[in-house]
Amino acid sequence: MPETTTALSRAHHTIPPLNPRNPNRMAIRILINLARFAVTYVVATVVVFLFMRLIPGDPAQIALGVNATPELLEQTREQFGTNRPLIVQYFEWFGGLLTGDFGTSYVTRTDISPMVLDRVQVSLILVLTAMVVALLVAIPLGTWAAVKHRNFSGVAIGLGSQIGVAVPGFLAGILLVIVFAVGLGWLPANGWTAPAVDFGDFIRRLILPVVALASVQGAILTRYVRSAVLEVMSEDYLRTARAKGLSKNGALLKHGLRNAAIPVITVTGVQIAALIIGAVVIERVFVIPGLGSMLLDAVGNRDMLTVQSVVMVLVAITLILNLVVDVLYTLIDPRLRRSA
Amino acid sequence: MMRRKNAILTTAAIATAAVLGLAGCSAGAGNSAGSDGETPTTATIALTGTPTNLDFTTTAGSAIPQALMSNVYEGLVELDQSGEIQPLLASEWTVSDDRKTYTFTLQEGVTFSNGDEFTADDVKFSFDRVKTDWVSSLKAKMDVVDSVEVVSPTEVAVTLSKPSNAWLFSLATPVGAIFSEDAVDDLANTPVGTGPYAVEAWTPNESLVFDTRDDYWGEAPGVEQVTLKYFADATATTNALQTGDVDAIANLQAPELLSSFESDDQFVVTTGTSSGEVSLSMNNQAAPFDDVRVRQAVLYALDKQAILDTAWNGYGSLVATYAAPTDPYYEDLNDAYPYDPEKAMDLLAEAGQENLDITFTVPTRPYAQAVSEIVVSQLKDVGINATIESAEFPAVWLDQVFTQHDYQMTTVLAVEARDILTVFNDPNYYIGYDNSKIAPIAEEADAADEDGYVDGMKQVAEQIVDDAASGVLFLFPNITVAKADLQGMPENAIIEALDLTNLSWN
Amino acid sequence: MSTQQVPTPPSQAPRTSAISAPGNASTSGTARSGKRKLSATLLIGLILIGLVALAAIVSFFWTPYDPTQAMPADRLQGSSLAHLMGTDKYGRDVFSAMLYGARITLFVGVISVGIAILIGTPLGILAGIRGGWIEEVIMRASDIALAFPALLLAIMFSAVFGASTLTAMVAIGIATIPGFARVARSGTLQVMTTEYVLAARAASQSRFRIALRHVLPNIIGMVVVQSSVSFALAVLAEAGLSFLGLGTPPPTPSWGRMLQESQQFLGTEPMLAVWPGIAIAIAVMGFNLLGDGLRDRFDPKLNGSRG
Repeated sequence: MPETTTALSRAHHTIPPLNPRNPNRMAIRILINLARFAVTYVVATVVVFLFMRLIPGDPAQIALGVNATPELLEQTREQFGTNRPLIVQYFEWFGGLLTGDFGTSYVTRTDISPMVLDRVQVSLILVLTAMVVALLVAIPLGTWAAVKHRNFSGVAIGLGSQIGVAVPGFLAGILLVIVFAVGLGWLPANGWTAPAVDFGDFIRRLILPVVALASVQGAILTRYVRSAVLEVMSEDYLRTARAKGLSKNGALLKHGLRNAAIPVITVTGVQIAALIIGAVVIERVFVIPGLGSMLLDAVGNRDMLTVQSVVMVLVAITLILNLVVDVLYTLIDPRLRRSA
Repeated sequence: MMRRKNAILTTAAIATAAVLGLAGCSAGAGNSAGSDGETPTTATIALTGTPTNLDFTTTAGSAIPQALMSNVYEGLVELDQSGEIQPLLASEWTVSDDRKTYTFTLQEGVTFSNGDEFTADDVKFSFDRVKTDWVSSLKAKMDVVDSVEVVSPTEVAVTLSKPSNAWLFSLATPVGAIFSEDAVDDLANTPVGTGPYAVEAWTPNESLVFDTRDDYWGEAPGVEQVTLKYFADATATTNALQTGDVDAIANLQAPELLSSFESDDQFVVTTGTSSGEVSLSMNNQAAPFDDVRVRQAVLYALDKQAILDTAWNGYGSLVATYAAPTDPYYEDLNDAYPYDPEKAMDLLAEAGQENLDITFTVPTRPYAQAVSEIVVSQLKDVGINATIESAEFPAVWLDQVFTQHDYQMTTVLAVEARDILTVFNDPNYYIGYDNSKIAPIAEEADAADEDGYVDGMKQVAEQIVDDAASGVLFLFPNITVAKADLQGMPENAIIEALDLTNLSWN
Repeated sequence: MSTQQVPTPPSQAPRTSAISAPGNASTSGTARSGKRKLSATLLIGLILIGLVALAAIVSFFWTPYDPTQAMPADRLQGSSLAHLMGTDKYGRDVFSAMLYGARITLFVGVISVGIAILIGTPLGILAGIRGGWIEEVIMRASDIALAFPALLLAIMFSAVFGASTLTAMVAIGIATIPGFARVARSGTLQVMTTEYVLAARAASQSRFRIALRHVLPNIIGMVVVQSSVSFALAVLAEAGLSFLGLGTPPPTPSWGRMLQESQQFLGTEPMLAVWPGIAIAIAVMGFNLLGDGLRDRFDPKLNGSRG
């Protein structure tokens, strides 16, 4: 499990563990993380910028087509800024990224930033709601499956989660549309309404895509919760607690859940980051204007500037989430505190 | 397994409902402005294939004029549903005896949506601008114009360098659109025309909202607001229609989905004709299709009726080249290349091209994906091994195929009306047809009288079919599905405009 | 979701294994670490993968029909003796396409996971053995790569190189590298602290030799587990990409694209969606279960102490 390993192995081997009694070390740790975040992000901008330059052809020529006159081409290149040295173009773009100004798209000829801002909100609402629902399903189901892991119900949940993980999300989405929208007519088949425009409609349109995302994410998280709780149940301190006379469930509630929460929180962070782009398939099925479909449309239009801007927003979200998960992880893991 | 899955979904659905229920209830009461009972004043039309921006003078792609012509922009003349030229911004016109000078009398009291008054100056400005500022391949249609002269604010005289039968028709297409001199700075986002609608909101890749103009010079449309909603795939459009999110689907891209609407009297399905040919284009200037025998072999190898039946569920009609039954010079040439795999193989053998490997560049549009698989299968039967290469449409296809001519075989929906000369009378067009035989006939026909024009153009079409310059798989149907009480969706798509000016609710 | 990096349940993480031998994520709940008996999880996983592999192998020698051969007269037929799973809109035999699709599925999985193993594992071992700035550079590069999930990379690649099976495989492969690098590194770090490695280092064996003789054999189990789980993700990723039109181009049969093409027929011919849907689920479950089962076998702690 790559991502969790990241957080764990970092905590163990590279960065001095966080110690609440030693605020200096905590600050150092956070500073190191921030520095890494900055370096990673800057390197990523260079990689993405250069990669996008591999697209064959002159953006001005592509935008104007064969019949463009040389003067018009030159004028358009000037307008796009693509006639300047690469390094100048990079720093201009990078400066824009820092100030939140992504420039004007060559293709749609509109400002990219306001559109990205709209789309980020849509994606975050969709993904965060789905993850909340997934957790609400996964925590009780996973715990139940662990506690009853020898019973039929526990095995059934385990099997159900295996299937849930294995079904492509878009298939779940298509089936939901067929059954609940087209068949039963309970909910809209697709589309998006901003919450500020019509909150009731916003909710109605949110339900199916959220269920589609949450069913798969719920299955993934259920597996995590189950194995985390199973693991905690075999811990020494839990046995000790039970030996001291606490009931099995009491011991689990008192000591276990906090420890079981640690890997689950880590995974949730990782999944949110992956889902911001991963939701693109669901966005397509439900015609939701999220970041993923913006990226896909921009790729279809070979709208280079929009593509690289959206990619960097996605990368920033991922890195920030990694950062948060890492800090959160060290804050709540008692073992790491002990080891300091 | 499905049951298990559904159980999970149900659980999740209940959880969602529980979480969101409170919020949903509190908002439910005030907001749902009832469209039940009273007649709606808005209409939402579903389309597939979004415009990249709103400037068709510098951006290729038929989605832009489809949305804007007739609705936002108007020309001096327009085409009616049967393809006849009718007056629009010009109330009448006279043609000089040498057929080179057209004098148009303009409608009075016409304004642009920015408030500017429409005068003869705008006509001169718009026509001149085609030559100077347009970068679309369509601009060639204005090449024949020698000069545009403002006679009076309501009269304009256009002199052609030679008589042309095609020119007046062109004025009904995007090159004839009239712009206001003060409002061409940001055509990509804020188009300004004399049409009944003005652009109220434009969200790229999502929707285009038109509001009816209060100061429109003609008859106002029957709805106050029209929203064009753009979808990435056809299934989503039919789902949206079925759940009432849209009121009509223009030019449905998935005929397989029609059956559920045809049996439902809440909806009306019309299958009109269009000017769009689904082409099978072959690069005449590159091997192996620089050999006429290989091109002919391909045409013999294809069972076009089977292609139409499988790819488009039998909707549409068969034509041999870029001429539709609505064109005056149409002639049925479908018998030129009957389905004959044996003959195809003979021709290939003669050309020394048995076991031919080719690349088939397929744009990412539903019709193209649908025809490509069956075309590949039929070509395989005669020993042509075609490998499909996807090209995103429009950007990649336009760049790679249309601009750089870097392809062997491709397919595209050529929606432009009366485009046979645009496509074949220009060796630099992407098909690269050697037009030396048709150029003189075409020139003569354009300058001839009406009968001479029709005869000449028929000869042109026959020559093109003889040379197997390129194939046409079928003529695209214009399938419209609308709610039964929405009137005025155009049945046919004869020019690249989706004319929404007649919409009204029963 | 279909294409994000789904982390596998945490029993393989070093912390876990160092502390306890947990009840694991197997569905049966009966598997126990270290047992040499074939667990139910492993068995079911192997059977499911076996099915997919069998279909793929058979497709090389025999399919009832040419899966790309259109027979317009026979279009959209339901299941029959002539066409076990019916025919699609072009009259192509669905069963033949399903067999062939298994080949594509495995091919994409093998190549993408292969790329990740061949690049990720050596980098991870190198980072673990050398430490210092080399480790820092490798792990930071891995951080950057982690910020680009498979789907994002595949979309970016298709912008530059066009959509194809190759682009999809390479994108999925690159996105999978960090997982292997991290598993290999943490495994290596554990092995490096064992007595026999300390002894080998004291005997001034070269690092390369240590890597080959001691590290590799001891982390191979973790790499196999990671491969199995990554394989499941690759199958889902390919399906998602095909759904978006960025995967295997037609007419080559691919389960993901069959699913996408069947969308229009859900109302009339739902089985066209059911077959590829089940096939994808079988493949993904097979590799996930195999991964779970193998994880119990190759418990890194046990391996580490065996030496």
